[in-house]
Amino acid sequence: MNPLIFTTILMTVLLGTMIVMMSSHWLMIWIGFEMNLLAIIPILMKKYNPRTMEASTKYFLTQATASMLLMMAIIINLMHSGQWTITKVFNPTASIIMTSALAMKLGLTPFHFWVPEVTQGISLTSGLILLTWQKLAPMSILYQISPSINLNILLTMAVLSILVGGWGGLNQTQLRKIMAYSSIAHMGWMTAVLAYNPTLTMLNMLIYIMMTLTMFMLFIHSSSTTTLSLSHTWNKTPLTTTLILITLLSMGGLPPLSGFMPKWMIIQELTKNSSIILPTLMAIMALLNLYFYMRLTYSTSLTMFPSTNNMKMKWQFETKRITLLPPLIVMSSLLLPLTPMLSILD
Amino acid sequence: MLKIIIPTIMLMPLTWLSKKNMIWINTTTYSLLISLISLSLLNQPSNNSLNFSLMFFSDPLSAPLLVLTTWLLPLMLMASQHHLSKEPLIRKKLYITMLTMLQTFLIMTFTATELISFYILFEATLVPTLIIITRWGNQTERLNAGLYFLFYTLMGSLPLLVALISIQNLTGSLNFLLIQYWNQALPDSWSNIFLWLACMMAFMVKMPLYGLHLWLPKAHVEAPIAGSMVMAAILLKLGGYGMLRITTMLNPQTSFMAYPFLMLSLWGMIMTSSICLRQTDLKSLIAYSSVSHMALVIVAVLIQTPWSYMGATALMIAHGLTSSMLFCLANSNYERTHSRTMILARGLQTLLPLMAAWWLLASLTNLALPPSINLIGELFVVMSSFSWSNITIILMGANITITALYSLYMLITTQRGKYTHHINSIKPSFTRENALMALHMTPLLLLSLNPKIILGFTY
Repeated sequence: MNPLIFTTILMTVLLGTMIVMMSSHWLMIWIGFEMNLLAIIPILMKKYNPRTMEASTKYFLTQATASMLLMMAIIINLMHSGQWTITKVFNPTASIIMTSALAMKLGLTPFHFWVPEVTQGISLTSGLILLTWQKLAPMSILYQISPSINLNILLTMAVLSILVGGWGGLNQTQLRKIMAYSSIAHMGWMTAVLAYNPTLTMLNMLIYIMMTLTMFMLFIHSSSTTTLSLSHTWNKTPLTTTLILITLLSMGGLPPLSGFMPKWMIIQELTKNSSIILPTLMAIMALLNLYFYMRLTYSTSLTMFPSTNNMKMKWQFETKRITLLPPLIVMSSLLLPLTPMLSILD
Repeated sequence: MLKIIIPTIMLMPLTWLSKKNMIWINTTTYSLLISLISLSLLNQPSNNSLNFSLMFFSDPLSAPLLVLTTWLLPLMLMASQHHLSKEPLIRKKLYITMLTMLQTFLIMTFTATELISFYILFEATLVPTLIIITRWGNQTERLNAGLYFLFYTLMGSLPLLVALISIQNLTGSLNFLLIQYWNQALPDSWSNIFLWLACMMAFMVKMPLYGLHLWLPKAHVEAPIAGSMVMAAILLKLGGYGMLRITTMLNPQTSFMAYPFLMLSLWGMIMTSSICLRQTDLKSLIAYSSVSHMALVIVAVLIQTPWSYMGATALMIAHGLTSSMLFCLANSNYERTHSRTMILARGLQTLLPLMAAWWLLASLTNLALPPSINLIGELFVVMSSFSWSNITIILMGANITITALYSLYMLITTQRGKYTHHINSIKPSFTRENALMALHMTPLLLLSLNPKIILGFTY
């Protein structure tokens, strides 16, 4: 793609999300979402083949439906409150419709079906933008309307997402689908605590983005999209195998890595609000996620041949230079001792 | 406490910056020095704990475990030299780094005041152990073993996290030094029963309790020697230590909640001892013997009398040293014959007489021969369980008999009798191996002269 055009489109994506996050008028927020959607379609279709076309079409259809539902909720809100400012939502029906619309945009169960298929059909870099940047806009709206969301729906969607994210990823060998199911599960964790302490949602989002960025960059570095090709990284750059191990364990939520911090804080917040069974269930279902991360680490870093192996590998033309990888790796694994600093977020 | 933690963390740069022929020497020497520093902690005031800071403390329960942990690192390094000799340098350094990381987490776990900090470090010990088992184990079953190990422990400990946070909500602080003074009885309700279960299950899985012990034979057998040593000696004791700490907060539910676990442990110790009599795999035999000894510790902790706490603590230290020594002996067989089957390496007394002496001492301490500290531990546990209920003496007596049976079976199969013709060409014992056994045995024998150190905080 022509670099100038690519920059313009990328800037439009950024602008769209920025407009969503910074507006106080509901119409502008909707416009921001549409701008974001229209501009990201060319990015999803960077390579022109039927697979990316199919993925982009699926993405467009689901997101457009969600935007329409959002518009309907906005209009109902306008009818009942008479103003367009984004504060809490004044009507329970509007609140439910808006929550469903934002859940569709985020990929929460029961609207999660598009996430694995879209993520699989596009290239690794586009998948990176899809699973990290695109989550920011809907999450910021959820943050702002969080006092008026129906708690039952929110918690049901959260728990089901963690379950689906864990169970769905068990049978996958394609790395992009694994990351998609991981995204569904993490979104579940984020929305579970939204009604209790939205700051922790933002913390979880931050750490999730860091870990997902790291994982995708490590995949891009070895240009591997399947478990099989990932298991060849020890031939090319043995250091990346250790980094993949650490980042995957962090995503699974194992102490003492930083992926444990959001889970711990969320469990703490939920327990302080006297819901005990829910965080226990959520924590145990996160173990399903850990299982398929462990399977990835087994094939990548924990079983190594003593000599170079004699099988077909992908030819690597040049080593891609990944900026910001070392700081990302450090941040996605070593942040747990900084947990007492969370008091500045209040 | 930092005088022990910082040097242990610094062992990691030491390994990475050492020259090729100096890595083992450097790390073993410095870890031995660190263990000498930790010996000063054994000077405990009688009833109180030694508080180093707001975050670290040591009391007569955790000090012997801490000394055992730091003592074990040089021993693990000495034991791993042979099987790592053919690996490239970076992998050797990675292995030592894993052991050092595990050591750091263990030291911090045993001295943590805040219970959530204890929990985080308790979980953190899983990661290096998992890496050691799955990366450096020898058979394909090690992958399954690692998964079983990780998931059994995590399933048990996630409810513990929720329980600890809800206790913090109730009492305002989880600092152990404060809780022991604020302690009030838990009101009687269904949710407190689940709280009791959530707190205890993590440690029950770690000990392991008889019904949840499936991960242990797998993990112990598939781990390399350092992994087996640290697991048998220390990681199981983490469960015992945790139970001893947390039962202070869980009264009065313990009086009736403990029954199922007491029954499982009492029956389980006999079952696992009996299974030992039918094992062909040497490491598997030692692993099941660990389950049996730890079942005694569970019984002692759940009875909650001063004598039983003394017995539990003494038994933990004694079993740590004995079990680790038995794994080293089994490994010396494995390195020569590359098989763990007992009957393939029999009649070794004729070929390796000095090693036979170590085998004899290890087996004798395993079956709790007087005056070793194993006996003190077991005797205190038997006596306190007899006072709790007279009938347990039958089970305890049966257990002691069967323990003696399998220990002697192991000794006689590997040492006595005619040697087989295929082991004519094994290498003689290295000085390193003899030093290893001596370093295991000497503390064990010396402690029988002054067992007051290891009798814990109810002495």
